[in-house]
Amino acid sequence: MSHTETAAPTTTGPLSMTRSWERQVREDGDEAIAAAFAAGDDQALAHAYQRWSALVYTTALRSTGNESDAADISQAVFVSAWRGRQGFDPTRGSLPAWLLGITRRRVADHWEERTRDSKRVAAVAASEPEEATAASAEGVVDRVLLADELERLGEPQRRIIELAFFQDLTHGQIASLLDLPLGTVKSHIRRSLDRLRTRLEVDGAAL
Amino acid sequence: MPHCDEDELSVIALGEPARPEDEQHLQGCARCQSRLDQMTAVVASARSITDADRPVAPPLGTWDAIADELGLTLPADVTPISRGTRHSRGTRRGAATWLIAGAAAAVGIAIGAVVTAGITGGTGSADLVATAELDPIDDSGYVGTASVEQTDSGAVLRVTVPALPAVEDGYYEVWMASPDTTTMVAIGTLNPGQEATFPLPAGMAVTDFPVVDVSVEHFDGDAGHSAVSVVRGQLQA
Repeated sequence: MSHTETAAPTTTGPLSMTRSWERQVREDGDEAIAAAFAAGDDQALAHAYQRWSALVYTTALRSTGNESDAADISQAVFVSAWRGRQGFDPTRGSLPAWLLGITRRRVADHWEERTRDSKRVAAVAASEPEEATAASAEGVVDRVLLADELERLGEPQRRIIELAFFQDLTHGQIASLLDLPLGTVKSHIRRSLDRLRTRLEVDGAAL
Repeated sequence: MPHCDEDELSVIALGEPARPEDEQHLQGCARCQSRLDQMTAVVASARSITDADRPVAPPLGTWDAIADELGLTLPADVTPISRGTRHSRGTRRGAATWLIAGAAAAVGIAIGAVVTAGITGGTGSADLVATAELDPIDDSGYVGTASVEQTDSGAVLRVTVPALPAVEDGYYEVWMASPDTTTMVAIGTLNPGQEATFPLPAGMAVTDFPVVDVSVEHFDGDAGHSAVSVVRGQLQA
């Protein structure tokens, strides 16, 4: 079963470089999906689901704390996105941003309904912690997008950012730990921050 | 002084002290200050994420419910296949997982020691040496698992990536790579729908190649990595 090349290690380009190539392909693909979606191609809906349902579902899950509610919201988001696709203009924003905008509204509707229901049964107190959760829902989209983008960082950027963000190492400590020049570490950090910010701008800023 | 170097601003945004010249410039330059504020906001937001913020797929059946409600009948090849969902494994790891992953990659992991233990304790059965969760690359939508086992005849790598579709005019190749993925070893072919077991080359230190990667290759005679990967993960002892 073993491949004949196993005899000697083969060296290819670093995947961190090929990753940006993959990313380019993905972004081109995203635009094609958005255009086809706007044009009413139902296969584009399936592709949109494949690419972005995890963002929608996780945003709903983090906002409601309930898997079954999050699945219902995800279903409602894609159904109403498809039915309301005339309202999506690919020249004004990305499709994931639009989907996440619908998700936010659905989450808000969900909490409104819950609040109404609890008032109906005079259990107002029970709704208070829920409202606190709903209030923090705005930050959820950003966190989910950032978590997603962090996972897409190639190496060594991802490792550098993990060490800098979550272990609070200085760029000097990271440089010596990874045996990389200081300037290289700094520029990886800068490029990764740019990339994270761009992701928030492109996919997070929906109305 | 000219505007602050963007690389310098990014490390200031992480909370490191500014160099005196940068600090002085920032006090009088709205442009650099606003750039720094943007970066600081991204850092603050990113530091607040936990593992629960990592995107997971909706439950299986969600797509079918959508297609039903809309009355769509889509050909099977565009029907989305759900990613293996992390939440269905019943664990929510904290932000600390990233730390551990990062630290392990940074300092090198101690798989070698376990391999040795496996050999000396040879009982005729296979000893699990290391495992990896293979995560989707970009939006490939697939996840899998890999493990290294020590058998009587040497170390083997087992790889499963459920739900992989057939590749048109191509196939999947399993690779093991150095932590920085600059050096890769071709391990063998993975057929969709099958668990594959590969003998590892004797003398190959798993610790040197802890990254398991599955790529899409074509029948083009090019022995190198195609740069199109579907899943990747790091072996942990």
